Amino acid sequence: MSPVAKSFMKVSVLFFGATADAAGMREIEIDFPADAKASDAFGEIVGKFPQLAQHKLLFALNQEYSSGGETIKNGDELAVFTAVSGG
Amino acid sequence: MSDKEIQNPKSKIQNPNDFFELTTESLNVGEIARRVVPPGCGAIVTLDGFVRQFTGERETEYLVYEAYEPMALKEMEKLINQAHAEFQIENVGLVHRLGRLEIGETSVVISVAAPHRRAAFEACEWLIKELKRTVPIWKKEVYRGGETWIEGAS
Repeated sequence: MSPVAKSFMKVSVLFFGATADAAGMREIEIDFPADAKASDAFGEIVGKFPQLAQHKLLFALNQEYSSGGETIKNGDELAVFTAVSGG
Repeated sequence: MSDKEIQNPKSKIQNPNDFFELTTESLNVGEIARRVVPPGCGAIVTLDGFVRQFTGERETEYLVYEAYEPMALKEMEKLINQAHAEFQIENVGLVHRLGRLEIGETSVVISVAAPHRRAAFEACEWLIKELKRTVPIWKKEVYRGGETWIEGAS
């Protein structure tokens, strides 16, 4: 494994509904430094798409609600979305 | 969105008569309700949630539902398991429709079968309240002159 591959990891970030409109896309791959905390990753995503900050956001890591304290791993699936409104 | 794209997994929940599904097809409330009835039960409570025409002064033209499908199914499964832990119920069916829905079309059906009605009513109410709070599904309301993604309260 090359040094670059060791120090960065690729995660996919998914957007839905209002956050997909705000980000202008439904999915993006982003590189994060190895051992990044989920909260740092989510902060970086919101920084990259400032219109997201107009919404109250919820975050998921690998299809579970995230508290932000988890460590991100290569290949993880992150999701950023607004408070849900099914029913 | 076609139904083929929605991966409704075989349930891992303990009770093989429970079910939870996402679909873009029309929902048949009666058929869903009957699927949960076991011989030891004396009551089913079924919620038929459908598209409302008026929200206050605003007239809805139609709704579009979208889900984070694999996570939504996981959360639906968790709700069913929690409902069994908290209420004296036998079977639960939970089906949510996705895509474009016209006024009056059913968006969600929750059926709970129980030996006695009280637990079925309570569990059904709890399930819809929790579904609206935790299951990653969103509705876009399209009305005359605009559209907006509804953001939940939580």
